[in-house]
Amino acid sequence: MLARLRDVVGERYAFADPYEMRLYQYDASPETALPEIVVIPGTSEEVARVVKICTDASVPVTARSGASSLAGGTVPVEGGVVITFARMDRILEIDTENLRAVVQPGVVNLALSQALKPLGYYYAPDPSSQGACTIGGNVATNAGGPHTLIYGVTVNHVTGLEVALPIGYDLTGLLVGSEGTMALVTRIWVKIQPLPPVQKTLMAVYPDVATASNAVSAIVRTGILPAAIEMMDKLSIQAIEAASHAGYPLDAGAVLLLEVDGIPEVAQELGERMAKVCRDNGASEVRIARDEQERQALWKGRKGAFSAMGRLSSDFYVMDGVVPRTKLPETLAKIDAISERTGFKICNVFHAGDGNLHPLVLFDAFQPGQYEAVLAIGDEILKLCAQAGGSVTGEHGIGLEKRENIRYVFSDDDLEVMDRVRRVFDPHILMNPGKIFPGNGLQPSAVRYPPGYSRRQAVAGGEDLWV
Amino acid sequence: MGVRAGATVLPGHQITVDEQRRLSVDDLLPSKIMHPGDAEDAGRGLRLCDLTPAAVVVWGGGTQMRLGAPPRRYDIAFSTERMTRLLEYEPADLTCRVEAGMRLSDLQAALGAQGQRLPLDPPHPERATVGGMVAANTNGLGRARYGTVRDWVIGIAVAYPSGKVARAGGKVVKNVAGYDLMKLHIGALGTLGVVAEVNLKVQAIPESEATLLGHFETATPAVAAGLLLARSYLAPAAATVLDRRALWECGLTADWRWTLALKLEGYAREVDAARDQAVGAIRDAGGRVEGADLPATFWDAVRDWSAPDGDVVLLRAIAPIAAIPTLSGAIPSEASVIIQPAAGVVDLRVAPSSAAPTLQRVRSLAGDEGQVVVASAPAAVKSSLDVWGPPPPGFPIMRALKQALDPNGILNPGRFVGGI
Repeated sequence: MLARLRDVVGERYAFADPYEMRLYQYDASPETALPEIVVIPGTSEEVARVVKICTDASVPVTARSGASSLAGGTVPVEGGVVITFARMDRILEIDTENLRAVVQPGVVNLALSQALKPLGYYYAPDPSSQGACTIGGNVATNAGGPHTLIYGVTVNHVTGLEVALPIGYDLTGLLVGSEGTMALVTRIWVKIQPLPPVQKTLMAVYPDVATASNAVSAIVRTGILPAAIEMMDKLSIQAIEAASHAGYPLDAGAVLLLEVDGIPEVAQELGERMAKVCRDNGASEVRIARDEQERQALWKGRKGAFSAMGRLSSDFYVMDGVVPRTKLPETLAKIDAISERTGFKICNVFHAGDGNLHPLVLFDAFQPGQYEAVLAIGDEILKLCAQAGGSVTGEHGIGLEKRENIRYVFSDDDLEVMDRVRRVFDPHILMNPGKIFPGNGLQPSAVRYPPGYSRRQAVAGGEDLWV
Repeated sequence: MGVRAGATVLPGHQITVDEQRRLSVDDLLPSKIMHPGDAEDAGRGLRLCDLTPAAVVVWGGGTQMRLGAPPRRYDIAFSTERMTRLLEYEPADLTCRVEAGMRLSDLQAALGAQGQRLPLDPPHPERATVGGMVAANTNGLGRARYGTVRDWVIGIAVAYPSGKVARAGGKVVKNVAGYDLMKLHIGALGTLGVVAEVNLKVQAIPESEATLLGHFETATPAVAAGLLLARSYLAPAAATVLDRRALWECGLTADWRWTLALKLEGYAREVDAARDQAVGAIRDAGGRVEGADLPATFWDAVRDWSAPDGDVVLLRAIAPIAAIPTLSGAIPSEASVIIQPAAGVVDLRVAPSSAAPTLQRVRSLAGDEGQVVVASAPAAVKSSLDVWGPPPPGFPIMRALKQALDPNGILNPGRFVGGI
């Protein structure tokens, strides 16, 4: 097998040494599993040949690139071959005439927007991990980010994959978000759009998360649609301030970060109108960033929120539930009650505008039983998101982590139809097996480090962690 | 695939001659009718059709029944006319859940009462249904700015021939749980299942709106000005280029041969700035600006123009937007035309007698990345035209998807791409 793969990609780019492969056994989720072989193809044709060799031999294939998945999407849970797109990282074309770019899957999200910036354009989806995650990975998970409220998620910006055309069924739309379980994407056509002339960012301070949540609904009801509405609760604010001095008031119960795009006079006007709505709805203080430096300072706190949590706790567990935004107050209250009952601290720093919660449960992985307790809390939170009419994942994907929780939002009939569709592409279930679908009882197969291991290393190394 | 010619008794209700005529498709008449009351009922009905098996043609408002190849067979008219409820709507969430048979104008009225709307404007909203809009992927004039059906549908419930009703997506605006089967059903013309319920995102009605016309002697500068504006930050809500005949068909007359019609929407100051920018772009391109005092129905007429009745044939070319200026400059003179440059769409109306040569000509002009379909035609004309053009490269997968979800081929047999 290894020899045949080396014939395709060359000696250097296929290996099976356990030491070398350790890097490919984990992503940003707690689970780990060693692959049997790692392949680094350089072209679409090589990818196709590698996949053919694997599927002919009934060997599972798992794709990875940035490996920033928080849901275990790239962990090769059934062993087999990991294909990493590290070498396929070129922007093939920037076509401002057609408002599109063509990229290989390994292109880092931020690198695309940086390449577009001198031309006055950008690629809108901006997951907080955009400095590390790739467009291919974004396609696999249908990634979001703080600015999805107005601009939508990845699928709204992907116009083609190396498989699809405008006539016939929309295979592009079907494959986006399918987490590599149906096909591997080797080339991606994305929409690009003009940079907004001005971004106006403001911070509003609230006594508690319920008041802040109601303010979010009030803003939306005025007809203003901000580009982003982010919320941080008291515990998050304290961690962030300790880490980065973003200027959030330490005595606040909740902080909202709001941003509008527009031409200067409109951004100014909308900023003022939003400030008024915030004040009318219980904000004790509203601060509008006066310049880019102040704006960056406000965002720095939010984007560094997760690494700041390292100051509060050695380990944390991140969730990605969604509720209708009008259900935010009651959902946050229920999460608070879970925290009270179990004694685990839970921080909330999240995309309030679209109801996408990221509760963080703080724990210590080396205390026996804590990891299991935290998983149970996660399960309970996702269940209450589903019961509120929401979803068990807004942007991270189902992956390995939530394949049982998917039952909270889909019936057996729903999943059966999805399985039929999957088998059209992957009849023998070799593409990223063990992900999305519940019920086959698989466990991460190989070496399993103590939960939190990789995260602990990353925090100690001062790297940023994102969500 | 295909439906066996059987002698078994068809399921469904008896149908009157008048109803038969009303529900004819490409001159074929149904033998029975089904009009389920909700999603589960639709599943039960489809199961009966599948057991027979009986060929089903799915009906919404009927505004797109002239799209697609003639059905291979037509036994049952499967109508969503009783499924018209607005099931959920929470304005502060900017989401709603509706039954497939709800008319678009009824939905827009309910949303409008809360200052909101669905920013999709398919033709004939007083007849067109939400389910039909999804199945036919009908998009109006705002697609370059606001996106298309796929950008606004967040969840779906579909009845399958197995009798099961399965959902995908959900009711929240951000959701990546499970496969995005909404995309599969959008534009599938009901060949993979019957769309029974649709969950939608909605938006606030913009606070300000304006219309501006620019007149030109040739198509190319009108298209160029439209594209320039569409690529700018203050992109218009609609930018359409009409030839003199199309303009007349939409109720206006002009001395000039080509007209760029712009609809500007947004916050008040944004619209002011967009108007200044548009005036500049029209003048720079050599056009004459008309600060239009238009009849209120003008945009409705432009919207409905692309879904004609009677003997008219509508051809639709879809191409990368940079190819539109070339395409626009070579339009056969026998056609009347409305171009949406920023969406990469060119719609041509032709008489039945010139449909075939015009189709051939436009297909050759559309280039490698372009596609031309017959979007609307009477049955007699369709028989002489290849309405979808050659099957796309992913076609074997499409056929396998059809086989997986509708193994007996009862759903709209033959109407879709490649005979699906």
